[in-house]
Amino acid sequence: MELNWLELNGYRCYANLHFEPAPGVNVLVGNNGTGKTSVLEAIAYLGLLRSFRGIPDESIVSTEAESAVLRGEFSVPSGSVRVEVEIAQDGRRAILLNGKRPKRNRDVLAQVPVVVFHPDDLDVVKRGPSLRRGYLDDLAAQLRPQAAADQAEYDRALRQRNALLRQEGRSADRATLDAWDARVTEAGARVFVHRLRVLDVLDEHLGEAYRLVGASGRLAWEYISNWGAAAADDLAAAEAKLSRALAARRDRDLDQRTTTTGPHRDDPMLVVDGRPARTMASQGEQRTIAVSLRVGAYRVLAQERPTLPILLLDDVFSELDPRRARGVLDLFGGGQVFVTTARDDDVPVDGRRWVVEGGVVR
Amino acid sequence: MFEPPVQRLIDELARLPGIGQKSAQRLAFHILNVDEVDATRLADAIVEMRRDVRLCSRCFNVTADEECSICRDLRRDPAMICAVERAQDIPVLEKTHEFNGRYHVLGGAISPIAGIGPDQLRVAELVNRVEAESVEEVIVATNPTMEGDTTALYLARLLKPLGVTVTRLASGLPVGGDLDYADEITLGRALVGRQEL
Repeated sequence: MELNWLELNGYRCYANLHFEPAPGVNVLVGNNGTGKTSVLEAIAYLGLLRSFRGIPDESIVSTEAESAVLRGEFSVPSGSVRVEVEIAQDGRRAILLNGKRPKRNRDVLAQVPVVVFHPDDLDVVKRGPSLRRGYLDDLAAQLRPQAAADQAEYDRALRQRNALLRQEGRSADRATLDAWDARVTEAGARVFVHRLRVLDVLDEHLGEAYRLVGASGRLAWEYISNWGAAAADDLAAAEAKLSRALAARRDRDLDQRTTTTGPHRDDPMLVVDGRPARTMASQGEQRTIAVSLRVGAYRVLAQERPTLPILLLDDVFSELDPRRARGVLDLFGGGQVFVTTARDDDVPVDGRRWVVEGGVVR
Repeated sequence: MFEPPVQRLIDELARLPGIGQKSAQRLAFHILNVDEVDATRLADAIVEMRRDVRLCSRCFNVTADEECSICRDLRRDPAMICAVERAQDIPVLEKTHEFNGRYHVLGGAISPIAGIGPDQLRVAELVNRVEAESVEEVIVATNPTMEGDTTALYLARLLKPLGVTVTRLASGLPVGGDLDYADEITLGRALVGRQEL
């Protein structure tokens, strides 16, 4: 898949941008704060329908504009796909897929596979479990849009159950709680099974990616949960386990006024030769694992989709030692790539150079 | 800003659901330009509706009498109750001509986030009716949303021990539609709720 053109209006520092990238490698060079990452963010937005910076939609609207408009056309084997997003100052947005409103926004997720790699990815390895859950859930949603719907349903059911516990505590109506338990169980089991499927296809690719990055040892996932997820390998088993765990922990939940078990509390741990990467690996190893995670995601998407994903590398090269930097692009396929860098010399690869300055890319 | 009397009407209209500033202005100027009789008729309709309409003492449908026309209709089957979230849902179901029982307006759906539990809904009233009116079946016609489905589940668990059959409206495919166009959730529910031919 390739981005043919990108148009931005009223988006961050871009009042009006028309950008026609090259099919292969595109290197965006510019000083900090000139809007390199914003271009990557916009491309990723058209594929993921949210900012990879994890910020609310309205904050990407330029303060001078009434709304931000992001438009892009992508070429695919069957022709082309056009995605257009308008975000108003109040955060409301309208999405068009090939000029028409999609029936559901998540239909767009299936259209444009993108993989983003940026320095904060190190946190996925280093920090708490929520980023790793997010990594698996995001990949699941890119592979099967239904996963995005199930995740949203689980979030909502959980928020309702937690609201009941928070407001009522020990005096919560047990019958109402029973009803929410059933919803949390249903949706939670589906969220877990989506993760399981991702782990299944990811396993092989991740191990290979880790070797290709030049590391020795075996990189794998170890899925930790307090509701017996390990013993559940299908939907019915997961529902039964989760339902039992919610019942067993009800007393604790009533005391703590929140839901203390379920897929939202799981820790998908990364382990190298059985050692937890979060605490045992060196900074260098952790960086290698972070690269492997993105290479793994790229390869999974490449395998499951008829077209190669678009690869977005945000200021990654300055973090890598020069010896490895050269090899990084080879790890991914031969698809379209966007690289940002403050120093051209940091990116020792051929490709179209673009200078980013004052809201212009040329 | 318009002159105070005009602006006052615009502000009031803009408070209505689905009406923004622009629509409110258009409506206000329309009302300004029609015959005074027409404008008065509109104002009277609002005043009279607020004065005369109340809730049916049995089912909480809107009515101008003690009981609504459906509850008073002797041809309707008192052994069947269809529970809906809002009174507006009743005419929609009535149009199908498929239901010949009575209704019960719950007044919403269970949503802890919005501070709505069974106590805020007319659930106790429904239980009383099931016991007092020898009801045989309660059809739960809450919306197919997370909150509506949860309310249905809650009512089923509450009412079944009373010896009444509790059913839920089927979710399925729109008539005349293509399977291609159905989303997975709807199609999944349609499969679960399939019927023998």
